Amino acid sequence: MADACRLRSRTASALLAGLLLAAPARPAPQPAFVDRAAEWGLAFRYDNGATGQLYYPEIVGGGAALFDYDNDGDLDVFFVQGAVLEPGKAAAHPIAPAGGRLFRNDLIVNGVRHDKPRFVDVTEASGIKALGYGMGVAAGDFDNDGWVDLYVLNFGSNQLWHNNGDGTFSDVTRAAGADDPRMSLSAATADLDRDGWLDLYVADYVDFAIDHNVLCYAQSSRRDYCGPSSFPPVPARLLHNRGNGTFEDASQKAGIAAKPGRGMGVVAADFDGDGLPDVFVANDGMENFLWKNHGHLTFEETALPAGVAVNADGKVQANMGIAAGDFDDDGDLDLFVTHLDGETNTLWVNLGGGTFEDRTLQAGLAAPSLPFTGFGTAWIDYDDDGRLDLLAVNGAVRLIDAQAQRGDPFPYAQTHQMFHNAGNGRFADVSREMGEAFQRAEVGRGAAFGDVDDDGDTDVLIVAANGPARLLVNETGSRNPWLGLRLVGQPPGAKGERDMLGALVEVVRKGAPPLRRRAATDGSYASASDPRVLVGLGDAAEVTDVRVTWPDGRIEIFPPPPLRAYTKLVQGTGRIPSPPASPRP
Amino acid sequence: MRLALGLALLLSMTPMIGEPPVPFPDLAPLEKEVGEQLAAAQQRLTALASAAGPRAQGLAAAYGDLGMLYHAYGLREPAEACYRNAARLAPGDSRWPHALGLLLQEGGRLDEAAAAFERALRLQGTDVAALVHRGEIARLQGRSEEAEDWLRKALAVDPSCAAARAILGQTALDRRDFTAAVKRLEAALAAVPEANRLHYLLAQAYRGLGEPAKAQEHLAKAGQVGVRPADPFADEIEALRTGERVRLARARTAYQNGRYGEAAALYRTVVADRPDRVEARINLAATLVQLGDRAAAVAELKEALRRDPASPTAHFNLGTLLALEGPSAEAREHLAAAAAALPQDAEAHRALAEILRNSGRPEEALAEYARAVAIDPADERARLGEAETLVRLERYQPARERLEEGLRVLPRHGLLTHGLARLLAACPDRSLRDGARARDLAFAVWQAQPTAGHAETVALANAETGDCAEAARWQRIALEAAGSLPGKIQEMKARLATYEKRAPCRP
Repeated sequence: MADACRLRSRTASALLAGLLLAAPARPAPQPAFVDRAAEWGLAFRYDNGATGQLYYPEIVGGGAALFDYDNDGDLDVFFVQGAVLEPGKAAAHPIAPAGGRLFRNDLIVNGVRHDKPRFVDVTEASGIKALGYGMGVAAGDFDNDGWVDLYVLNFGSNQLWHNNGDGTFSDVTRAAGADDPRMSLSAATADLDRDGWLDLYVADYVDFAIDHNVLCYAQSSRRDYCGPSSFPPVPARLLHNRGNGTFEDASQKAGIAAKPGRGMGVVAADFDGDGLPDVFVANDGMENFLWKNHGHLTFEETALPAGVAVNADGKVQANMGIAAGDFDDDGDLDLFVTHLDGETNTLWVNLGGGTFEDRTLQAGLAAPSLPFTGFGTAWIDYDDDGRLDLLAVNGAVRLIDAQAQRGDPFPYAQTHQMFHNAGNGRFADVSREMGEAFQRAEVGRGAAFGDVDDDGDTDVLIVAANGPARLLVNETGSRNPWLGLRLVGQPPGAKGERDMLGALVEVVRKGAPPLRRRAATDGSYASASDPRVLVGLGDAAEVTDVRVTWPDGRIEIFPPPPLRAYTKLVQGTGRIPSPPASPRP
Repeated sequence: MRLALGLALLLSMTPMIGEPPVPFPDLAPLEKEVGEQLAAAQQRLTALASAAGPRAQGLAAAYGDLGMLYHAYGLREPAEACYRNAARLAPGDSRWPHALGLLLQEGGRLDEAAAAFERALRLQGTDVAALVHRGEIARLQGRSEEAEDWLRKALAVDPSCAAARAILGQTALDRRDFTAAVKRLEAALAAVPEANRLHYLLAQAYRGLGEPAKAQEHLAKAGQVGVRPADPFADEIEALRTGERVRLARARTAYQNGRYGEAAALYRTVVADRPDRVEARINLAATLVQLGDRAAAVAELKEALRRDPASPTAHFNLGTLLALEGPSAEAREHLAAAAAALPQDAEAHRALAEILRNSGRPEEALAEYARAVAIDPADERARLGEAETLVRLERYQPARERLEEGLRVLPRHGLLTHGLARLLAACPDRSLRDGARARDLAFAVWQAQPTAGHAETVALANAETGDCAEAARWQRIALEAAGSLPGKIQEMKARLATYEKRAPCRP
């Protein structure tokens, strides 16, 4: 019997071998993403300025913004830059280029669209001198003049760069009262009190000072960077936009000053469906915060009862980057948070009303994330099939001994990951199918997401510590039909149209569930993303209408926009939905 | 050391005959003691590998031992190579696939870890730890039913295995079988009551069952102590770690777990080897305080400052210790030095404020309290201290304002609530009193923490409202809760007598 089995097995193998030989040669599959940073002129390297002292900020920076600073319709880029922290060592370790850099995208010039983007470093001409130790960046039109401003987050004082609308920026930090001298990594830009002006929630990280550096060691006893618990947490800062060019520090009044945290990522969004943007903060090595917005800039911290403070096992994790999106199409925002290696990334599914359940294991997202430390992340529908997938940008914070043994000067490199949404609550790790960009190990940190070449699929801008920035251009997504939407409005007193961050879009389709997407620049890690909404439609491309819930709570219905194009939806120009019919007595 | 290291580097370039080569890592960046420990194990392996005659068992053990050492220090790549060679040379020994399973699980390589544990279980089916690890892995892979199979096997071998019960509770929760989850988690918690993380899981289960009150009850008890699967082999690997930093880490763990004698002994060994290790000396002093030897602690801190006169922690701890004897100039100087060195440390500014206040320098104290509050608006003690100092200065209105503001920022915080209740009940400026509100606040504090002092404040508040009988009743409760506090009792009894007279009894 045993021999017979073996014989059968051998025969099967022989048949299979024959089939393989007979099969026609197939072309190599096209990679989903290709790094085109160098090709398109986006030459930048984030230098953390490490000189061997292992100062804590060196292991957690930097980020980038994808934003249209010149209002020409394409996405420009701003990178923050590190600096040398060790006193007296700057000359011996020159950082080139020094300071944050602004790159103009010349995909569209004078209204003429070219076939591909080309980036030009315009930092000097822009007047931006972001020479602090850059950690992250946020973007938003804070003065409602129709031009997007930049908020640069530093280890040390932050900077608010006002966009003058002529290609230049002015540092208005002091005049605007927008500074925060603590170590800040991420900030959320949102109209938290619904007064028409964008406020800033600055997620401060830890209390670290160069002259009180702490020596830490890896398990091997080799010197290594410390973990977050070596430094005290600090309260975040809520900068309330007064609408007159200045900000008020509303942290105490809002109640957020009472809870120090170690904020790495932050998202402002309406998680409980009450119409007000709440704030979710991913805290490193401690419970997360979910600040429920009670209106009038008053907040209550509700993460523990809401189920997002710790993971399903009740364990505090090293929470880093955040993605907020409705991946299961049930009408509320779910959360995905990246974590340290040895921990799982965590998927918190919104059960409705702002109560969450950790379904990481059931979604198949636990095991693949264990070897990696995730930072930047987002829900992106990379293949435009109508379902939100997940991307995690990885890079270790604990020394990888094998890399150190090989002489790597910064031995923290890991590969990035893509998880495809199967539509049944489960995800598959498809990183190997994403191309070389996902096989190359680097020390990934911030990531900004947006359609850089305007071809209808989401591209990814990755900042790697001590490595070249990557622009992962999506080569496959736009094969499926898609809708591109820019949601703008002119709040009372505004001098121009601006992106209505926090607006929710519902794309109603025939024969398929509606797709809900959020216009936002926040989330991910230390970065600001494209505020436009890109909706992949998969095989259900018949759109009946588009409903927009604006940040002020008003709802409007717009007719189906053209497919495979970007359309600007302006608040106040759509149809107001009829109220539901009253029930008969 | 140099000779050993030289041999090790040579060996790394010379593959062993018969077994795949193992990488010998560069030991130079490691702590001296660790490097020597590893080099000795490498030498043992080299000697055995080059010896003539039958060698499989001895060599397997040498590979395994070296693998365990690498593993202990997180040197995963060489540890894996060693374990694989050990398993190849001693295929009947379950230790090496078990160790390999641990290593791979730690590295997140779950499929390979599962295979390794299954190999170990084929050799020793009663390896409870391997069964539990296998169950953990299946759960992480999203296979809860398979996980439950492994965990039930573990319980069949060892019915008292609390880790298996706890993970079974988690798998039930994963499957949203909340009833089963409650049953299993309650059983696990009964077996390991200190595992307060299980309360979080129970809260989730009760939330799923639609019982919010029970969920809230468990959430309030939730902490970070879990149930660790008992694994003697993992403990053996951990115990191999040596060196100053390991001793310091173990001392810190012992301290945190209240094993102060053990912590002090470990710190002493570090200080004996390295008298210049100021941090160890500071921690030794903190441990000595816990052991009640304050004089020895002061001596250690003074020695720490002799070696590092700028150490802010030594200044802070010494100042704090000396302040316990009274607000001396020496204590004040140390606390001032700490606050100057740690300008962003709210606790340092608060400690300085307290000693300034107790030294009769209230204006300076107020400035320090304000700094503490500015740095950390959640520093309740600083806010209370500031208000108390204002009361001492008879600035009652600002004191009340500070307390009210504190409660806006830190709602329902006990110290501030009690402070405000006390002020509203018995403020020397009677125009600021509000007996009814004081009573509500004081009662809330009493409910949260029924102490003598809190009962006494309820009594005071009742007296302020004119309800002397109720004041007397609460004063009796306070006396009962106080037990026998010499000195304090007489004062409390005198106040009770005032209330019992039922004449105007406002304080």
